[in-house]
Amino acid sequence: MARRRYHDGLALHQALPGQFLPFLVAAMSFLAALALAGGIAAHGLSQRWTHGAGAVTTVQVPGPDDPAAGSGTRVAAVQDILAHAPGIVAAHRLSDAELRGLLAPWIEQTGDASLPLPAVIEVHTAAGQDPMPPLLPRLEAIAPGVLVEHDSVWSDRLAALAASLQACALLAVLIVMTVAVCVVMAATRAGLQTRRQAIALIHSLGAMDSYISGRFASRVGLLALVGGLGGSLAALPMLLAMSHLAAPFSAMTDAQATAPMDWRDPRAWADIVPHALLWMLLALPPAAGITGWVTTQLTVRAWLRRLP
Amino acid sequence: MFRLHDVSYAHGGNRAGVAALSHISLDVAQGEFRWLLGPSGAGKSSLLSILSLEVQASAGMVEILGVPVMQARRSSLARLRRRIGTVWQDFRLLPDLSVFDNVALPLRLQHRAEDEIAHEVHAIMKWVGLESRLDARPLQLSGGEQQRVAIARAVIYRPALLLADEPTNALDERQAGRLMAMFHRLAELGTTIVVATHNDAIVEKYPAPAIELAHGHMVRDYR
Ligand SMILES: Nc1ncnc2c1ncn2[C@@H]1O[C@H](COP(=O)(O)OP(=O)(O)OP(=O)(O)O)[C@@H](O)[C@H]1O
Ligand SMILES: [Mg+2]
Repeated sequence: MARRRYHDGLALHQALPGQFLPFLVAAMSFLAALALAGGIAAHGLSQRWTHGAGAVTTVQVPGPDDPAAGSGTRVAAVQDILAHAPGIVAAHRLSDAELRGLLAPWIEQTGDASLPLPAVIEVHTAAGQDPMPPLLPRLEAIAPGVLVEHDSVWSDRLAALAASLQACALLAVLIVMTVAVCVVMAATRAGLQTRRQAIALIHSLGAMDSYISGRFASRVGLLALVGGLGGSLAALPMLLAMSHLAAPFSAMTDAQATAPMDWRDPRAWADIVPHALLWMLLALPPAAGITGWVTTQLTVRAWLRRLP
Repeated sequence: MFRLHDVSYAHGGNRAGVAALSHISLDVAQGEFRWLLGPSGAGKSSLLSILSLEVQASAGMVEILGVPVMQARRSSLARLRRRIGTVWQDFRLLPDLSVFDNVALPLRLQHRAEDEIAHEVHAIMKWVGLESRLDARPLQLSGGEQQRVAIARAVIYRPALLLADEPTNALDERQAGRLMAMFHRLAELGTTIVVATHNDAIVEKYPAPAIELAHGHMVRDYR
């Protein structure tokens, strides 16, 4: 009996065949997923390089062994402040050997091995924090001439690059969505055209516009939902692989970055895949379905206006 | 019941279009039966399509079942269409639906219960003598059988206004007689009926008030 409910002559299975539309929507969802993943990855990398473990601040202390204002050497006093400041994960004083290794090209040129070297302390700050500026006056007081250098040239460039990548991703998603809306409109119009006699008839028998547009929209919405699901599923393996490759670069700590991955542990996958990516993949099919539904509603209602 | 005042209509718009009706005024009360007469091309089908709300009059005033059609909202026009039954000259059966589904269509669109629909369809199809052809497709039927299916679909939802365009042209004399008997019975029950025809023999046999058109003008409205 329920089988008969939709024997209203619209024959939507013919008007909107079930292969064409889901396939196109799947292809476009796939492209949208890749673009969004690119945007999310760019955001993640820029976070890591501007605020994460990759962001290293160097503190140079001239005359490290001179006595500080209070007691002990200047470098010891500076290290003491850094060690107790919030937001600083690690402060490591480069040894003389490390320093000479770093400076070897210049030292060899000048040939002067007894050049007085400043102490260089590498400061790793916690993700998303910049604790250095408030410390500056205190450091300056105990070690005049202290130099704090943040790798901001690189991080600024990376941030700009990430921002433009994100803008590109957004643009790509907008274009894909526009194309998807156009495809749905064209498919709906073609479907209306093939069933125009049946539509005109049920219209003159008293069918409401909302009934006809609702029938078309629920069919297209369902097909688009299926297509979106297909696109998400198709994008999933690719995004997992890419996340795996990107994991060492986007990990917030060095420990995460270098830890070996257990391939069979689903939680390990969940760790390396940014959560935003998972949410995006989950949200894509309903977004495709809703877009299809709304587009079809508007298309059918506009088309029905030709009937009095 | 329905009233037209100074109604004109042109196919394909007012200016460029073919004038099909000019300055028609009519007033038909509930339960009346009217012939709609005139030679081919006189505008009978055009007048019926205005009454069945398939087209909007180009000018004038149309009121059907108390609804001023020219000012009404789309949703009230849709509701009004559910109270108007039409037998079109070209039947307009849907070829990919069975006879049963074609006749059931108006009730389905009104979301009636399926067992009620089945009951109604069997009753009306028995009346038109086609209860054995419910599973056939319209194109497997003869012209007269298709016309009876179209009649069944028009009356199944007990419309308050019944419009029929040449409903007897494919029927034999006996079937036509049965149809006329049904029309008179429905009129007695309060249905307003307008039947367009250029079959003079049947008009003579079943005399009733008539509206007569020629070249889109009303020549007579006599009782
Ligand atoms: N869709 C249309 N487009 C343009 N002109 C039309 C259209 N339908 C009808 N006409 C014209 O309108 C006029 C009235 O036609 P209509 O169909 O109302 O006549 P009729 O009285 O029903 O004729 P018949 O008895 O042959 O059915 C005719 O001149 C016809 O050519
Ligand atoms: Mg006609």
